[in-house]
Amino acid sequence: MNRTLIVDDSPTMRRMVKVSLRDVCSGGFAEAASGLEAIEQLALGPIALMVLDLNMPDMHGLEVLKFLRAHQAFRQVPVIVLTTRGDEPSRAAALAAGASLYLTKPFAPQALAAHARELLGERCVVAPLNNEGAGDGE
Amino acid sequence: MTEPFILFTVAGTTYGLRSTQVAHVELIDHVTPVPNAAHFVDGVVFSRGEVVPALNLRARFGFERAPLGLSSRLLVATAGGRTVGLVVDSAREFVAIDAAAIQPPSAMLSGLSGRYLEGVANIGDRLVLVLNLTEVLTFTDPALEAQT
Amino acid sequence: MANDPDFLAGFMDDYFVECEEHLTAIRGQLLELERGVGAAAVRPALLEELFRSFHSIKGISGMVELREAEMLAHQMESYLRALRQKDVVLSQRGVDALIAGVQALETTIAARRDNRKGPSIEPSVQELAAVTPAASAPAAPPAAPAAPAAVASWRVTFTPSAERVARGVNVDNVRARLRERGTIVDATPRVLPEGIAFEFLFAGDLTPALLDAWRPDGLVAERLTAPTVAAPPPAAETPASEATGAEAPEGGDAARLGTSHVVRVEMARLDELMRMIGDLVISRARLESALARVERHVPPVEWRTVQENSQTIERQLRDLREGVIRVRLVPVREIFRRMPFVVRDLARETDKRVRLELRGQETEIDKYLIERMMDPVLHLVRNAVSHGFEPAAERAALGKPEEGTLTLSASSVGESVLLEIADDGRGIDPAAVAARARAIGVPVPEGELGPRALLDIICAPGFSTREETDRASGRGVGMAVVKATVEELNGTISLDTAPGEGTRFLIELPLTLSITDALIAHVGDRTFAVPQAQVREVVEMDPAALRRVEQHEIAPFRGGSLPILRLGRLFGMPSAPRRALHVFVVGTGRDAIGIAVDRISGQREIVVRRMADDLIDVEGIAGATDLGDGRVVLILDLPALGRYRGDPVAAGGAR
Repeated sequence: MNRTLIVDDSPTMRRMVKVSLRDVCSGGFAEAASGLEAIEQLALGPIALMVLDLNMPDMHGLEVLKFLRAHQAFRQVPVIVLTTRGDEPSRAAALAAGASLYLTKPFAPQALAAHARELLGERCVVAPLNNEGAGDGE
Repeated sequence: MTEPFILFTVAGTTYGLRSTQVAHVELIDHVTPVPNAAHFVDGVVFSRGEVVPALNLRARFGFERAPLGLSSRLLVATAGGRTVGLVVDSAREFVAIDAAAIQPPSAMLSGLSGRYLEGVANIGDRLVLVLNLTEVLTFTDPALEAQT
Repeated sequence: MANDPDFLAGFMDDYFVECEEHLTAIRGQLLELERGVGAAAVRPALLEELFRSFHSIKGISGMVELREAEMLAHQMESYLRALRQKDVVLSQRGVDALIAGVQALETTIAARRDNRKGPSIEPSVQELAAVTPAASAPAAPPAAPAAPAAVASWRVTFTPSAERVARGVNVDNVRARLRERGTIVDATPRVLPEGIAFEFLFAGDLTPALLDAWRPDGLVAERLTAPTVAAPPPAAETPASEATGAEAPEGGDAARLGTSHVVRVEMARLDELMRMIGDLVISRARLESALARVERHVPPVEWRTVQENSQTIERQLRDLREGVIRVRLVPVREIFRRMPFVVRDLARETDKRVRLELRGQETEIDKYLIERMMDPVLHLVRNAVSHGFEPAAERAALGKPEEGTLTLSASSVGESVLLEIADDGRGIDPAAVAARARAIGVPVPEGELGPRALLDIICAPGFSTREETDRASGRGVGMAVVKATVEELNGTISLDTAPGEGTRFLIELPLTLSITDALIAHVGDRTFAVPQAQVREVVEMDPAALRRVEQHEIAPFRGGSLPILRLGRLFGMPSAPRRALHVFVVGTGRDAIGIAVDRISGQREIVVRRMADDLIDVEGIAGATDLGDGRVVLILDLPALGRYRGDPVAAGGAR
């Protein structure tokens, strides 16, 4: 089963998400602390689910989401936008950009796990874009 | 509801300590004396790489110290984040004691060791004094301190 | 939404560490922000960084259910958002509200850590709300920060792969490489036929040699013929802009750079590693003595091989130890960073003008020492500002610059680190110190007070409690605690002061604790270890040469005399010197003292174990070690023992 990618600039928050989803996401976890790192992770292997913070350095979460939805290869990846309370006006923007679900922090670990389980139920597999060696062909 | 206890003896009396508070029981090899430490501290020992004080419970309870013998043991116990070794005459048994069987110490037991007791339990025809380790570590009795 | 307490408990340490990181960054950023009051514009990246720090604290505080911290961070975030959206202009009142808010936030978080009740946050929250216009609702999505006006000369494309990432070549690493050589104007992810790639528009110098070296890392650079001015982020498929790279302040960038290259390790795990290395050192010592016993049974040629291997292991063990020590080292900046904040506040309160000079912030020191030294350094800095400097008018009258200079510097010298806290204020007046000491019953030696005697007096318990209890010294850490902390860390503190010219405290600390060279000493059948760094000299003395003066023993030494303390008497142990006493000489000049033992048997590398429990926390004993036989050997603290010289009997009877 494929990995779950947790994107948040707070290491504590990433760990909290990871521990909450430990029993749900059997494919293991990948982490990214910024938008660009998140996109780099997409290049490294298929992703089953993405948990995405919005307010991050370098590249806003919405931009990551737009990038995902603009490319055929990632269009199907379920994305849970998990953002801090107070950002509510971004809800409409996130859903419009293609978020599968919009949740706010603080979150309840059990609720997050339940949502993730549901989204993974309709799981879709996305092939990695960069195979080993494919990128060396310059 | 029952709880496991470790039973040990000091000066002919049987005491019990919750086994959750006991890290392990060791033979006493060599205790290094610490100059100017409290009178009931025999010294320090290494226990699993940590330096722990060895408290002589005979001295703590106001009895004469006895020479260490074959049955002497060091109970390495923890309370309130501290780890200490308790020098006892022997420590042999684990027993499960029903919480309901532990009674508050009677007035008769309010002597020197009575202050360190959490309660008294009757197991069959035996009397077991349940130790309050935190008190043992912190309680200072002026009369007792003056005995040195 | 009450979370399971067990769930939360597992994250509290992470929470405190992350908050402290953000707060450290915030302190520096607020000072920069304050300089922007009244200026035409505040650097947008600064507002952005501050905003994100508060945003992160708010998020994780909510998770750990620390509502007061969440609320404070939320209010500060709102004010910064208003600033960013230009709904309000930065004012001194606003900066003050932020500073007060950060202090309340620090106290709230610290209270939670110590299981105390936190302060009331209401005044801070209200003041912050008062400076924030009500209409400042968050706009979504936020406007991308304006791109820096730099001219890109290169297009650098990076294609990540699992193999490259595994050896540390990732988008963060590439960004760092580029930033070293110029400015990233824009960074955009692209989906190319061969996979995902990142395209950087870059202004700076790239040499052909560099490009060759970078090619195997999946980096290809193309010179832009017509220099491209950074366009505003296109509303195209994949906008992403790089705004923070251009002029990131010192430190802030390094702290965030490459989150994925940095592993957080709990101190406890490093301590565990250090303990295991300590065990190895002891095992090797055992092996060494076992080898010595079999030497005569082994043919010389074979013996040499064994010997060489044993020495190799010793050397490798030292390297390993040094490696782990290096992992524990952090820059002194962690202490220094909060000082501008403290000085600024205090100077204002006490109506002084003080310029703070920080030097050697990159000097590295053990993390544990950093944590322990934070309060003592804070105390010395507070003392300097509130008592060291004269008010500006007084300085002017004296012909000194109105603005006082407080210098904090750090440097490393061999195995130690020197910390210096110096001011150019009024200096310490020996007469005033002596008078106050006599008034409160602190003993004062006869004659002129030298710097050492002066330091002893001001560090005497109770001395630094000033008559006027001002906020600065009312924090409970007196000079007595400063000195005790330094000595507990095996360090030394000295004082240098001249009336009218200023005061300088010099603190010398070991780079790290744990393993040290020691001399092995014996009294009767007891064995002790003595840290070599504490010993100035070892001499042998004929007991017959000692003279008794009242209850003290004095030995002729280097044309003068040296007071001698016998360890056996201090500790009430039987002693049986053979022909001569062995004496450790500690201290210099008038402070020199000799501590006598029966015998010194050699020098060893020892592993220092702490003796933390109150029951065995005895003056004069610094810790314990194991010389290979599993028995505890006590480590002496000679300077502490030396302090008993006035009254050797007290050591035997106390406690």
